[in-house]
Order: sequence, then structure tokens, then C-alpha cells
Amino acid sequence: MKARWEYLLIPPLIFSSLLLVVSQFVFLQGSFRRDLGIGRLGHELGLFNYAQVLADPYYLETLKLSLFVSVSATVLTLLLAFPVAYVIARMRSRWAMVLLAAVVTSSFVTIVVKVLGIILIFSNNGPFNKLMMWIGLVAEPISIIGSLSGVVIGLMYYSFGFAVLLFYSVVVTVPRSVEEAAEVHGASRFQVFVQVVLPLAMPGIVAGALMIFNVSMGGFSSTALIGAGKVLTLPVVIQRTMLLETSFGMAAALAAVLLVSVLLINLVSVAIAVRSQKGLVV
Amino acid sequence: MPAFKIGRRIGSLAVLVVAYVFLLGPIVFVMVASFDYGSRAYVVFPPETFTLDSYRNIPGRYWNALWVSIIVACTCSLVACLIGIPAALGIVRGNMRGKGLLLALFRAPLQIPGVVSGVAFLQAYYMIGGLTGWYANGSFVGFALAHIFAATPYVVGTLVSVLQRFDGALEEAALTLGASRFATFRQVTLPVLRPALFAGALYAFMISFGEVPMSVFLAGSSYVTFPVEVFNTMLVDFEPTVLAVSTLVTLASLALVVVVQYAVGLGSFVKTEPID
Repeated sequence: MKARWEYLLIPPLIFSSLLLVVSQFVFLQGSFRRDLGIGRLGHELGLFNYAQVLADPYYLETLKLSLFVSVSATVLTLLLAFPVAYVIARMRSRWAMVLLAAVVTSSFVTIVVKVLGIILIFSNNGPFNKLMMWIGLVAEPISIIGSLSGVVIGLMYYSFGFAVLLFYSVVVTVPRSVEEAAEVHGASRFQVFVQVVLPLAMPGIVAGALMIFNVSMGGFSSTALIGAGKVLTLPVVIQRTMLLETSFGMAAALAAVLLVSVLLINLVSVAIAVRSQKGLVV
Repeated sequence: MPAFKIGRRIGSLAVLVVAYVFLLGPIVFVMVASFDYGSRAYVVFPPETFTLDSYRNIPGRYWNALWVSIIVACTCSLVACLIGIPAALGIVRGNMRGKGLLLALFRAPLQIPGVVSGVAFLQAYYMIGGLTGWYANGSFVGFALAHIFAATPYVVGTLVSVLQRFDGALEEAALTLGASRFATFRQVTLPVLRPALFAGALYAFMISFGEVPMSVFLAGSSYVTFPVEVFNTMLVDFEPTVLAVSTLVTLASLALVVVVQYAVGLGSFVKTEPID
């Protein structure tokens, strides 16, 4: 008798689909209804909420701000995470595993505690401002609370850990011998990195960048705490619209906008991954 | 050693130092600052005093919230495994079309930002509440369902990747040698899956334990998870006991992660999914 493993799928499939479909269906249909105040929705279906998102400068500004901080966080995370992953992947000692374990382990610490630490480090009497004033770079302590740069730093903590792990797995697929060959033929270290390693790792870097961007677009906790009501990105506005203004329809429409933009970027990254497997991406 | 090699080493070291200070600095700093409790409402670095006062004065609401988080996270981890094991076995071993699609369906929650799921679950709970009179927000079930939704993809993901590499010949050998189907599963399949299962269960636990964006929507006035309690405290004002309780929780979760990593090997953990 042949084992029929596919029957095992039925209970988990029912449970997971139910959670997915019920939750997503309820909020998506709610996004087509007019808010009547205190969480009540009209019966008439229409695109009013979406029309308002596109017409209201407040929401457009929110979208622009979300894109801006997410792109900034993505670029900075790439610039920091890729070199680290490269150095770890090329280490010839047992420390490489310890360093990776530290990355994995720290990713399990809840983001709220990390944000608490960031706020302390950058506070007026914190080490960052003391160091900056000691060097003489700034005369007055600078605050990151409510600033764009603070929000970008906070967003980097969502994806830095997994970016290092992802790029590590990308770099180890680039054979060391390729780099050595280039060096033997007279390429400098920098040339090897730019002309050999980066092109070979490019599909992984592009896929990773899109993932980082996606996570940043959805980043809520750190932005809400560091932004302190002054930096209103899409996730923060969604939370306020839902919980403070209790405009369920509008919150649902904004959530749908965020969801669709994130899904689109995911589709692009899947397409890139598929193409690179076929060897079409240079 | 030639000079250029030394230069390269210093460069590599500098990259590592910057990155790890960035990565671990905030976590370490919360711990250091937790021992410097004053009447001040801010923190001074380097610490001026050493005291355990902030540990003695941890308010009861943090312990309540911790208890909620632990119960929800244990439930989430257990249920995510109960869903994940059959799902992964079915996807990898089943004899049907559209496996990629099924896997994508189980992984779908990974693509949905936490805030969107928060809105979705809260509105679904309100709708169900409107129909039945029972509102799941601010309750154990409300948190657990949303966390299971978010954590199951991690369990499915770790198990699928191990099962795909798993050689079916081992099981066939056991069956040929006379083991029953159940005995084969229990004595051959499960032991092979165990590291991935532990890793998946730990991921599910920690995702639930640290989850904020969904839980902010689902929290009730008296029934709150730990990270949301800290989140709410930080929105209002700063008080040093939050450092102490955060330090205790961080140390406990780090210990848990290190123990499980040591028990099952780091290989099961080095994966590339973002944790929100």
C-alpha cells in the first residue's frame, strides 16, 4: 500500500486558509465601506476611501515618507550588512560561527527592547552625544526622537540580522578560487570586490534589498516609538486611524494600499529570483 | 606578514566592530543602564551608581503581561507545530500537483505586514463579535489565533527544507525490515525531523513572544502581552523599572535560544527570513 501523505494536508490547510481568508476578506470588504464614526461602517460599497487616499495630501505625504525612510533604511542596511557578511564568509576561523550565532541570537530579542536601547544610547546624556561632544562634532546634544534619521536607524534593526545571514549564504556560493584567480592576474582587493564578488552576488543582493525594503515598509514598533508622533509613516497612520480615530474603513483602505505595494514588490523579487536561477540576470 | 595583508585585516576588523556594536549595543546598553537606578527620569552613561533598586521595584503589571506572553507563546508554538508537521509532510511527500502554490499559501502570512494583519484580525474579531456577541480582542484566544497565523510559516518553512533533503530510503529500509508504518514514523522520521522541529518551535515561540504590531491592535485594557506593555509604557514616559524587567526577559530569552541552538546545532537556525 502506498502512503497517502496528501491527506495529512487537509486539516492544516483548512485551519490556515480559514485564518487567512476570514481576516483578509473582512478587512478588504470593509475598505470599500464609508465610515460612519466610532467604528461603524455604511452598507454601500464603493471606492470612497481609496479616492480619499489619493486625493488627500496628508495620505500622499505619508506614502512618500514611508517610501523615503524605507529606501534609506534599505540602502544603509545593504552598505553595512553586505561587507559584514563578506568578511564572515571569508574568515578561516571558528569565530565565523560564533559571529553568525550572535546575529541569530540577537534577532530573537524583541524589537521593543532594542528600541529602548537605541533611545538610551542617543539620549541627551547617552554615550553617543557624549562622544560627539567630546570629539567636538556637535556643540549641543542632538536628539533622534521624532527625527527621520532616528526612524531610519530604528528600521535598520528589523532587517540587519537576516540581511547578514542572507548575504552570508550568497557570498559562500562565490568560490574563493575565483577571487584568487583575479588577484593572481593583478587585480587589487577593491577591484576584486567590485568586479568579481559584487557581480556574482548581484541576484542575491537585489533579492535581499527587496526583502529589506518590504520589511521596512511594514516597520511599525520602532517607528512609532522613535518617531514619537512626528514621523507618520503608513503603518503608524494605519494604527492611529484604526485605534485613535476608529475609522475602520479608512484604516482598512490604507492597510490594503500597504499590502498591495508590499505584495507587488514581492512579486518582482520572486521574478528576479526565478530569472537568476535560469541565469538570465547579469 | 606583508603590510597590505595587515591593512586588510584591520579593515575587516573595523567592519565587524562597527556592525556588532550597532547590532548588540542597544541590547547591552539596556542591561548596563538597568543597574543605574536613580530618582532621575533619564539615564547617564557611564553609570554613576550600582544598585538593584530597579529590580526590586518592578511593578506587578509587567509580571502579569509576562505571564500572558508566556502562555500565548507556548500555545502558539504548540499549535504551529501541530499544523506545521502534517502540512510539511503533505507538501513534500504528497502525490499531487500545485505543491508550489500550497507552499505559497502556507507562507502567505510572511508577506503580510504585521500592521495589516492587526487591522485584519481586529476587524474580523469585531465582525464575529457582532454576530455572536463574543469578542476575541483582548483575550487569550484573540492573541493566540493571530500569533499562530504569523508563526506557522516558520515551522512549515524549516520542516519543508529538511524534508526535501531527507532520503526516503531510510524509511523504506525500516519498512522492508518489518517495522510498522507508525514505528517507522516514530523511530526514523521523527528523529530526523527533530532539530528542524525544535528550531521551528523556538521560532514560533519567539515570534509570538516578541510580537508587537498585531498585538497592539488586539490588546485589551487589562489583558496585554509583555512587549505591548513595554511599548505602551515607552509611549507615555520613561521609568527605570522597564530596563530591569527588559534585562531579565532578554537574558531569559537569550539563554533559551542558546540552549536550543546548542542542543540541535546552529545549522537549523541560519535562515533568511525576516523577523518582525
